Amino acid sequence: MSIKLNKSEHILFEQLVAAGAKNAAEIFAKSGLPTRRIEQYHYSDLHALLADIPQVGEQTKQVSAPALRIAGAYRILMVNGEVQTTTVAPAGVDVGTIDGGVLSKRNDVIISLNNALSKDALMLKLTNDVDAIIHIDRRSEGDASHINGSVKISLADNSSATIIETFSGSDAAHLSNNATSVSIGKNAKATHIIVDLSSKKARHFHSIEYDIQAKALLHSLIVHSGSTLARTQLFAAFNGEKAHADLSGLMLVDDTQHSDITIDVLHGVPNTTSTETYKTVLRGQSKSIFQGKIIVAKDAQKTDAKMMSQALMLSDDAQFLTKPELEIFADDVICGHGATCGELDENHLFYLMSRGIAPEVAKSMLVRAFLEELFDPIKNEIIHEALESIADNWLT
Amino acid sequence: MSNNMLEIKNLHVKVEDKEILKGVNLVIPRGEVHAIMGRNGSGKSTLSYVLAGKDDYEITSGEILLDGENILDLAPHERATAGLFLAFQYPIEIPGVATMTFLKAAMNAQRKARGEEELSTPDFMREVKTAAASLNIDNAMLKRPLNVGFSGGEKKRAEILQMELLKPKMCIFDETDSGLDIDALKIVSEGVNSMRGANRSMLVITHYQRLLNYIVPDVVHVFSDGKIVESGDKSLALKLEAKGYADYDKGAA
Repeated sequence: MSIKLNKSEHILFEQLVAAGAKNAAEIFAKSGLPTRRIEQYHYSDLHALLADIPQVGEQTKQVSAPALRIAGAYRILMVNGEVQTTTVAPAGVDVGTIDGGVLSKRNDVIISLNNALSKDALMLKLTNDVDAIIHIDRRSEGDASHINGSVKISLADNSSATIIETFSGSDAAHLSNNATSVSIGKNAKATHIIVDLSSKKARHFHSIEYDIQAKALLHSLIVHSGSTLARTQLFAAFNGEKAHADLSGLMLVDDTQHSDITIDVLHGVPNTTSTETYKTVLRGQSKSIFQGKIIVAKDAQKTDAKMMSQALMLSDDAQFLTKPELEIFADDVICGHGATCGELDENHLFYLMSRGIAPEVAKSMLVRAFLEELFDPIKNEIIHEALESIADNWLT
Repeated sequence: MSNNMLEIKNLHVKVEDKEILKGVNLVIPRGEVHAIMGRNGSGKSTLSYVLAGKDDYEITSGEILLDGENILDLAPHERATAGLFLAFQYPIEIPGVATMTFLKAAMNAQRKARGEEELSTPDFMREVKTAAASLNIDNAMLKRPLNVGFSGGEKKRAEILQMELLKPKMCIFDETDSGLDIDALKIVSEGVNSMRGANRSMLVITHYQRLLNYIVPDVVHVFSDGKIVESGDKSLALKLEAKGYADYDKGAA
């Protein structure tokens, strides 16, 4: 049974048909874009928010300046979903392309659109300790386009790597739907930083999947500081014992920006631990959303998970919505969650000002202090400085 | 340049409709150290916050002149760069702000106000290390976030360190002796005494005479029910210690 599609949904349907994705088109015709009745999209009703859908993106030679430069990194450029250039890969890195559609099938429209419309995916195989930072520079370039891009990263057992993905591009009302799938082998260590610095006209979607094997270590940090509408959904699954993940994120929002990070963490086996630390700073009439779901399976005894969501409101007109969901089926676990929402502390401000520090400088220092917990664990100095520069740019 | 570093004229202050300061008059000449003694709740701390420019206080009448200039319309940071310094009774802990970052920002703010260049990092480090050594402040303490995890004594020493680095001309010490053991009291007092000079005035607020054995004041004022009720030399502090504040209670004086 089909529903009545709105204009945007109709265009998406046509785009699926034109791409030859008949099945996906048929399924989409039955669901349309998610509305607030779909739990994960409750605060980001795409049926209402996606007012227009641009044409499907094509290759372009126009490439804007990098939004973030990572000195000494091995950079891979992806323009409108396609891998464009690669210099010689450092030792331990195999670069290739595979067919698009890297995400597991889920009952999620954004994921099924990406799986259906993403042609080629970047494939990175990391075979041992990679010293150089890997920078995947993902762009939405040219006129406003609907872009689907995907990346699959696989860390072999005992390997280690630091990967930063940045999203940026031309100043146009793009709709970019991105996927990243990361598998972290046994005893492997991954640091994965994701930064959205897209145009303030752009709509940015990113779905991330982590497959975490035994004794693996993952540090993940998502930063939203661009786009009029940004939504990242993260699915992390522990598939081996004694693994640990620090999952974190930051939404810096202003004006009428709408930013959403929704995570889904599955502790599926015993003896795994995780922390989830997500923060947002809001100005203007912006809105940010954090939804955090942690599932502890029946057999996943000795799970230890701590989730925290914190907002710093710099404006009375901004809005922060946060929702934790814990589904615990095991009986010997530690699983906690908390949330805070507040303004800058007047006593802190007064103390700094009483030493001669001007109020705007004092406020910046306090916002930076709020972010420190997210940036401090990033030990790589180049990335640490890049993150500081994003915060500085946002604050000034 | 005024002969008087601080002049408070008939200062009345309300907090949420309750009058706390009821006509404070005080003149501290350049280079002098004055003490204000009074029991808890007499309005001493309110006076120090009002001088530093904290919000939440409604000044209903009066004037505060710093070196001849009225500072009532100045924001806290402007008062600080004009040379006023308040050593807090309870220094604020600010997680995430590194002590060194804070010190540098504060010192540069002072320099900017005087139209000077920012400090170079080596000069800054040298100044901090020299001042810290004389106050028994070690590197580990300087590496921590501002006041976070500092003991009571460490917090007070950190306040004196800031004072030494910012070189204010009017220093106010709000119950600086509270929470200090005798050794810490000596270190803090030595720091304060080393800052005494012809162009710097100090106001020491306390309710114990003990501190005044170490920081010997030129003038002692007794504060009761929101105003100064008696002034005298340092022997007044000894008299108070012996007899208490009962003589100054409403109607008894």
